[in-house]
Amino acid sequence: MILAFALAAAFLFGSGAYLLLKRDLIRMVAGIMLISQCAVVTIIAASLGRGRAAIAVAPGDPVSDPLPQALALTALVIGLATVALLLALVHRAVVVFRTAEQDRLAATEAAHEAALERERRADREEVGPAPEEAGPAEEEPADGGRAR
Amino acid sequence: MVVIRGGAAPPGAGQRHRGSAVDWPGWLACAAALAGFALCLLGWLAGGGAFALPWAPSLDLELSFALDGLAVLYGLLATGVGALVFAYGTRYLSLHLEHQRRQAVERWRFWPWMALFAVAMVGLATAQDLVLVFVFFDLTAVCSYFLIGFDRAEREARTSALMALLVTVVAAVAMLVAAVLLYAAHGTFSIPELLARAAPSATTTLAAALLAVAALAKSAQVPLHFWLPRAMAAPTPVSAYLHSAAMVAAGVLVIGRVHPLLARSEAVLTGLLVVGAASVVVGGVLALRRDVLKQVLAYSTISQYGYVVMMYGMGGAAGNGAAAFYVLAHGVAKSALFMTAGAVTMATGEDRLSRLGGLGRRAPVLAVAAGVASATLAALPLTVGFFKDELLFTAALRHGPTTAVLAVVAAALTFAYVGRFWGALFLGPPRGRVGSTPVLLVAPVVVLAVIAVAGGLVVEPFARLAEDAAGVSAGGPVALSPAYHLDARAENLMALAAWAAGGALLALPRVVDRVSRAVAVAGERAGPRRAYEMAVHALNRASTALHDREVRDLRTSIAAVLVPAGVLIGLAFAATPTAGAYVVGAVVGADWLILPLLALVVIATVVIAVAKARLAVALALSVVGFALAAVYALVGAPDVALVAVVVETMLTLVFVAALARMPRAAPERDAGAPARVRRRRRDAIAGGVAGVAVFASVWGFLSQPAPDSVSAEHIRLTPAAHGSDVVTVIVADFRGLDTLVEITVLLVAVVGVATLARRRLW
Repeated sequence: MILAFALAAAFLFGSGAYLLLKRDLIRMVAGIMLISQCAVVTIIAASLGRGRAAIAVAPGDPVSDPLPQALALTALVIGLATVALLLALVHRAVVVFRTAEQDRLAATEAAHEAALERERRADREEVGPAPEEAGPAEEEPADGGRAR
Repeated sequence: MVVIRGGAAPPGAGQRHRGSAVDWPGWLACAAALAGFALCLLGWLAGGGAFALPWAPSLDLELSFALDGLAVLYGLLATGVGALVFAYGTRYLSLHLEHQRRQAVERWRFWPWMALFAVAMVGLATAQDLVLVFVFFDLTAVCSYFLIGFDRAEREARTSALMALLVTVVAAVAMLVAAVLLYAAHGTFSIPELLARAAPSATTTLAAALLAVAALAKSAQVPLHFWLPRAMAAPTPVSAYLHSAAMVAAGVLVIGRVHPLLARSEAVLTGLLVVGAASVVVGGVLALRRDVLKQVLAYSTISQYGYVVMMYGMGGAAGNGAAAFYVLAHGVAKSALFMTAGAVTMATGEDRLSRLGGLGRRAPVLAVAAGVASATLAALPLTVGFFKDELLFTAALRHGPTTAVLAVVAAALTFAYVGRFWGALFLGPPRGRVGSTPVLLVAPVVVLAVIAVAGGLVVEPFARLAEDAAGVSAGGPVALSPAYHLDARAENLMALAAWAAGGALLALPRVVDRVSRAVAVAGERAGPRRAYEMAVHALNRASTALHDREVRDLRTSIAAVLVPAGVLIGLAFAATPTAGAYVVGAVVGADWLILPLLALVVIATVVIAVAKARLAVALALSVVGFALAAVYALVGAPDVALVAVVVETMLTLVFVAALARMPRAAPERDAGAPARVRRRRRDAIAGGVAGVAVFASVWGFLSQPAPDSVSAEHIRLTPAAHGSDVVTVIVADFRGLDTLVEITVLLVAVVGVATLARRRLW
């Protein structure tokens, strides 16, 4: 049984890791879900006792170890919250950028960063040189500084 | 009071300025050092003492301190020299900050570190636990980092500080390794117990060698000496303290503390002897031709601690006694010389010997005091320094003819460079303008000179101190009897030979110049400093390359977590014996139902990995979830099973809803491109490796269950919590706070989702 649980956990984690490396954000979320399932399976498999459910226990009865179950409950609920938030994020990204492909997202982000940097530089030039800079006091006024 | 003034500078010029009012933190540190000095002295006269507090009993760590002979010697040195240097520093630092146009408030970046430096030194001297020694040892390095880098606007100061920190702290790791090795062999970190238990063995030799490496790097011994001359970037009080009583002394202090351990192995002692001799020669020859004042003194320190290391290498009562005495005499003389250099630089604005000269007439008090300090270092009679060389010669003679010759060479080199230093400063034609020298920059030098002469006249207290200290290092009582003998005994002849040879070196500046320059050039070309710089640059490059790789995109960030984790797990497996560690486990009863369910999970997992359509992924995910919920129900976990069903249902709905609101995925334009195929193959391999690693570790950890669970207690206490379902009670009561936090997380997530799902974000 131990071997079976270990195998299942290994498949869950291996697929999860594989999916994490995908470019599609949806598949990355699926990978995270699989990895959290792997964690829950491992916690449950680590129960020290097996038997009846630990409800209204009479002394001496063999019962399933309740502590891992409590931990698994926590893991499941937190997993739900995480995945929901991730999906919402992916959804928002897709709505904004029209793509769920990492590469294209990164390219859009880089373009955005570059634009921001241009704006920032323009702002700096407008303010004038910083006090510790001993450079020339006046620069020609920037025209792109009021993009906002 | 003594006010040295000269040139056209008006009396007291540069002494009263706005913003440089009385340096309270400095005087506070000085007072604390004086109090510490008095305590050390009283403790010594009272016969010492010890106390221990538990620190981490589960690790056998103890905060154990003892005021034994060695502790008294270094404690007195650190607090006594400390008090004088601090007093000097109150004036020096104000002037220094003024020159650099910095705020007086910056002294708060200085004095706390100085005070901590002194505390760390006293702690190191008294600590009796090897790990505690390591902590204080590194504490001195940290203090030195901030003090050397005090002029943080200067690049030189910053790189020097980093160099000092890296060399000494990296070497100090060897000490920790040695401590762990000794603990593994003898089950204690306590130094007295270790000294009693450690028998000569390979482990002892290795540990001793590692301890020696850490100590030698700290004491700036060849080949790890290069950080010390660079550390001159520090303000002068720091240099004076660092060289005479703190940082550098910490190395030989550790050697003295664990000397009986080092003496278990002849090879380690010989190594000390060789390293010490090499440092004496390299430091001495380089000191002969340095031009910057503090650099002469820095190389001289390397050479002088080389003596001490050599004497510890000789071992025995004579060697240990001479070493302890030497540290004392050197501390007095070297701090005085550094403060002289600082005072001269403050008065003239010059820091090079070639631009200074003839100060004797214009600053007579300083000249005399510095002359006494120089004479102490050069071992002239009527100073305490004479006895340090006498004891050195005695120990060297006892050890063998080679060491005796080395000792004479060392003494001759010292005589030559100290003579040159003092002569170039105070003799000859006057050069340069001389401003006033504040009293506080001269008085400490005078005090130290008086101490040196007093020691030269009545050597008894110094010898007592050194005897007590050497008793700890030698592991038995040591008797020293330094005295003047007006006869032709070997020690006197050696001293005469050293003076003659030193005088000859002074008289032949051209030859000396050439040799010293050749050594300096060779050191620049192939020296250890170069290796250090190359190593630092290579590390920097590697770190940058790794960082660039890591932050390139999301995939590489994930790889940066997964790959090191996988490597660590792999290493752990390689290092752990695995025979018999794996159990297959029996299949009984309901397990026959669980097996097909797990098989279903595996199949669905594989489907998720290879599925093209997103909907298939979502459906296969819910298959995994529901199958696992059934498994939980079968292993007697109905609560988990119910929650899993609810969670899976919601997740499936959320997933499908999200997919429905998303635009269709763009068809993969270049699915067959070779780069893509290669990448997919690489991803598959990575996933496979991750799976295998998890398989090995999870199987291993499931195979080794703990003998009992805290659950028994939970089950016993459940009725008291007015519940019958143990899991519910754990979640709601025993771990109620966790659940509260969990609910908070859930709420935060809900708010996040609600915000993100709105049509317009803001």
